[in-house]
Amino acid sequence: MKLEVDVKRCEGHGLCLQAAPKVLHHNENAEVVIDVEVLTGDALAQAEAAVRICPMAALRLTSEP
Amino acid sequence: MSKAPVTSDIDLFADDILVDAYPTYKALRDQAAVVHLPVNQVYALTRYDVIRAALGDPATFSSVKGIGFNPAVNDALQGTSLASDPPVHTQLRATLAANLTPRKLRAIEEQIVGKAEALVHRLVQGGGFEAMDALARAFPLEIVADLIGFTGDVKNNMLRWGQAAMEVIGPMNQRTIENFPIAGELYGWCSQVTANDLTPGSIGRGIFEAMDRGEIPPGSAGHIIHQYLGAGVDTTIAAIGNVVALFGRHPEQFERVRQDPSLVPSAFSEVLRYYPPVHAWGRRVTRDVEIEGVLIPQGSQAAILFGAGNRDERHYPNPDVFDVARNPADHLSFGYGAHSCAGQGLARMEGHAVITALSRHVRSFRLGDQVKKPTNITQALDKLMVQDVVGA
Repeated sequence: MKLEVDVKRCEGHGLCLQAAPKVLHHNENAEVVIDVEVLTGDALAQAEAAVRICPMAALRLTSEP
Repeated sequence: MSKAPVTSDIDLFADDILVDAYPTYKALRDQAAVVHLPVNQVYALTRYDVIRAALGDPATFSSVKGIGFNPAVNDALQGTSLASDPPVHTQLRATLAANLTPRKLRAIEEQIVGKAEALVHRLVQGGGFEAMDALARAFPLEIVADLIGFTGDVKNNMLRWGQAAMEVIGPMNQRTIENFPIAGELYGWCSQVTANDLTPGSIGRGIFEAMDRGEIPPGSAGHIIHQYLGAGVDTTIAAIGNVVALFGRHPEQFERVRQDPSLVPSAFSEVLRYYPPVHAWGRRVTRDVEIEGVLIPQGSQAAILFGAGNRDERHYPNPDVFDVARNPADHLSFGYGAHSCAGQGLARMEGHAVITALSRHVRSFRLGDQVKKPTNITQALDKLMVQDVVGA
C-alpha cells in the first residue's frame, strides 16, 4: 500500500504528523512529505491512522503502483 | 426497496433539549442512524459513521441553501464558502483559510500563549472568578480582535454580533427572530468596512490589501471578515468554557493534565468531543440517497448532530466518560472534509494555550453556580463560577 496526499486539500493542520511519524513529515512550508514508499506493518497502521484523522480528507491509501 | 424512515416527534430546538441534548441524542441514536423529524422537517443523522460519510460527500450533502434551518439565513449566506460546494467553494475556502493555516499562525503563537498565561495568572490571584466572562469570552475576543484588527465600537459589538450570527442558523423560532436584526448589524458593518477601519499590520488589513492586488474578488474582503467574526468567536467561547467546566467536574482528569503536559492536545480534543460547540448543522440532499436502507429524498434537509455522533458507542467506547488521555483526534466537532472548520488551527492554539496556562498556574479549584440557557446552535454555558482557586 501507498499513501497519497492531495496537496490542494491539505491545509497543514499537522494531525497526520502525530499519527504517522514514521511515514511522513512537514517540510519548512508545512507541506506533507511522504517518507515511506511501500507501507507494511507498523508503518501501514500509522498511515491508516493518519488517513482517519486528517480533517481535510486529504490523505488516502492506494494499492496502485 | 427502501424502508420507511424511523420518525421522532421531538423538536430539536426545544428549550429542554437545547439545555441538555445528550439524552435526546442517545434516544435518536438508539432508534436509527437516520431519524426523520417532521417537526423540524429534517432527517437527523445520529451516528458517527453516517455523519462522517455525509460530511465527506459534499456532492450529495450540499451546503448550498442547506446549512441553516430557515430559508432567510440560507439566502443571506449565499456566495460564502460556508454555503457553497466545490468547485466554487475551493477558491473561497482557500482565501478564507489562507491566514489561518498553521504555518501562518506560527507567527502569532507566542502572542497567544503569552496572553493566556497573563490572563490565567491574573485570575488565579483573585481566588475565584466567573469563567465565562473573565476567561472564555475575554480570551478569544481579544485574540480575534487583534487578529482582524478591530478597535473601538466594533470590538464592543463582537460578542453580541458573533452570538447572533450563530443563533440565526436555527429554525425561525423566537430566538432566531430576535437575533436577525443583530446579525444584520454585523452584516451591514462588514459590507461597508474599509481597510482604514482596521489596525495596520493586522490580518484584516491584509485581506483588503490582497483584494487591492486583485488576489481575491472585489467586495469579498467584507465577506471574509464576516465569517471570521461569525464563526470564530461564539464557538471558541463555548469550548473554553467547557474546558473549565469539565476540569471542574473531573478534578482527577485535570490532575492528570497537570502531571503530564503532553496530554494537552488530547485533553482539548476530548473536551471538543464531549461537548461540541455546535448543536446541529444542515445539508441539502442533492439526490435520492439511501442510508442503512432508509431513503432520504432529493431536496430534503439533513441535520448533522455532531454531539450525537461524538457520543456514539459504536465508535468511542464508554462515550459518556470524560477521559483526557482518549485522544479522539477524529471527533466530529470541527466537521470533516472540504467544509471542516477553517479556523480549527487557531481554535486548537487557543484551547491548548488555555489548558496549558490553567495546568501551570492552578493546583485545584471548585465550581460554583453553572447556568446554561437555551440557544439554537452554539452550546455554551452562560455562567460558570470558579471558586476556592489554589495556585500552583
